[in-house]
Amino acid sequence: MNYTKQIQDIAAKLFAEGKIDVFVGYRMNGFDENQVPVLITDPQDVSKLVFTDKSVFNLVNYLKTDHTRRKRVGIVVKGCDSRSLNLMLTESQVKRENLYVVGICCEGVVDDAGEKMQNCTDCMVPDAVVSDEMLGTAVSGSGTLTYKKNADIVALAEKPLTERAAYFEEVFENCIRCNACRHSCPLCYCAKCCIDQETATLYNGANTTSAAFHALMTWSLHLAGRCVDCRNCEKACPSHLPLHLLHKQNESVIYENFQEHLAGVIPEDRGAFYKYSLKDPDDFIM
Amino acid sequence: MSFTTFVTDKAGLQKFYEAVMASRETYAPVEKFGKFDFKRVARLSECDPVSPIAKTLSIKPLFFPRTAKVMKYVATSAGTDVSEVDEDPLAVKRVILGAKHCDARSLQVLDKVYNWDYIDTDYQKRRENTVIISTRCDKADTHCFCTSLDYDVENLDALDVLVVNGADGKTYLEARTAKGEALLGETFTSDAVRVTKEEAAPEMKKQYDAFAASFRLKMDYKEVNAKLAKIFDTPEFENVSGNCVSCNTCAFVCPTCHCFKISDEKVKDTGVRYKSYDSCNNGYFTLMAGGHNPRPVKYRRWRQRAMHKFVYYKERFGENLCVGCGKCTISCPVNISIFEVVSQVSAAAGNRQ
Repeated sequence: MNYTKQIQDIAAKLFAEGKIDVFVGYRMNGFDENQVPVLITDPQDVSKLVFTDKSVFNLVNYLKTDHTRRKRVGIVVKGCDSRSLNLMLTESQVKRENLYVVGICCEGVVDDAGEKMQNCTDCMVPDAVVSDEMLGTAVSGSGTLTYKKNADIVALAEKPLTERAAYFEEVFENCIRCNACRHSCPLCYCAKCCIDQETATLYNGANTTSAAFHALMTWSLHLAGRCVDCRNCEKACPSHLPLHLLHKQNESVIYENFQEHLAGVIPEDRGAFYKYSLKDPDDFIM
Repeated sequence: MSFTTFVTDKAGLQKFYEAVMASRETYAPVEKFGKFDFKRVARLSECDPVSPIAKTLSIKPLFFPRTAKVMKYVATSAGTDVSEVDEDPLAVKRVILGAKHCDARSLQVLDKVYNWDYIDTDYQKRRENTVIISTRCDKADTHCFCTSLDYDVENLDALDVLVVNGADGKTYLEARTAKGEALLGETFTSDAVRVTKEEAAPEMKKQYDAFAASFRLKMDYKEVNAKLAKIFDTPEFENVSGNCVSCNTCAFVCPTCHCFKISDEKVKDTGVRYKSYDSCNNGYFTLMAGGHNPRPVKYRRWRQRAMHKFVYYKERFGENLCVGCGKCTISCPVNISIFEVVSQVSAAAGNRQ
């Protein structure tokens, strides 16, 4: 998967036609094979752009910063990224007319060790669902992809409750409360997070196991039915915590109970928790 | 005072580690979720004293904990009763195994600020009670640049016992402080051969030279210090900080960052006050009670981070607030390199003159 040339050409054309102010893409970091997101404002820098299977980070995150706000933006999105972009559009965080979206038919990206990432092997939506222009040939084919419950949560579910509790206690113990997961999440766009309130503190800012539990559980529930499994959070976590377990558990529950709902796949879809349907299960209501 | 050097082999080193673990509280890198963090260990099999530098968190939390209780309080009708917290678990006599040289150096840098206007007694106690055993790296990692900074990596005296895997297959142990000398003397008797410094020097030098030659990143820190000091208002900071997502990971994993916040955990009338890490990249970091924020935008916060590391701290304490460990770059979700940022900004300053 290498769309470097195409993306450079598209960005150059967009700048030449005066359609965008800033282009959000990837460049090489200059030290190893890893890439750094780059916000290009000078048309001369277009040659820095690259796109390979090392283009991991979800760039939709940058649509919530001052560098792109109220500007015309060109952006590269993979399948998962485009789902988060769909949610940003639905939740009125960005205006579609300000964006020029280059969609990728994504064959999967690789982690630091060079292996295909787990979310890519399980991916249901490899092709971008929002785009002005698509690159590559469709990977999804004609509905050949089936929903696979995440192998890690299946394995965890088989263990006894005490063992699971001990495992998660270890997870929360190793959290250092840097909140990098939240900041790197494209859908955590609140100007003031409930976890950071200085007054009326519901959440303890300290780095205790209980505070980490409280913060991470709140965070994962705010993303229930919205998380698109791009794994920005896991990439950001300095302790390498398996944060996807929280999100994938939510996702599978929602998929099974709310008419196979997957976040951000359908434009204007408000998501499982924001719409009412007669088909919604109610057997858990006492 | 001159210190002793011992020469031994891998098995001897292992015996030394085991003897240390049997006699002292020992902290060493323990793997969890693919990352190594310094935790209390009882057996050598639980830890990896030569954990890869890119996957190991710093030893800073053993001196400046991620969260520390400051005090407890109870509100009563007569007023508020404030009480001391329980004993500091980190202030006992202990040994750290497997610290990296950059980690050890970071404590020297932190000592300056902790001995400045306010003397942090907890930190002092933890420092005094700790013996640091550090193995010299054999090879630099992608983002390492410790040899380019203002300290002598070869003769670093921030560590107490130096371990060098010599090019000849032997292991050299050198005491660098009185604390290290005592530890070596007490646990090391039969399995090792005492050698003079001169005898050990050639092999240790050879190992160091091979290590120093493996660095790809080279920086002239004096030039960076001088140039950054002159360009507070350069627009280049805006360019280099554009792709930062303000996630603060860099500050949390940095062995020299030392900013903290105070927060309370309250249950009805009783509470505990905590001191825990904070980062200058946080938007609310400089937010004042009246609502004014002197650093409201990201590039100003980034500028503060870069300038504090390479200009302000240097001016005040004579040291760079960076040890070149590359932990921030490795942990960064978008792979921003502090090395690249300061090099790029100071290069821009060069162009401007």
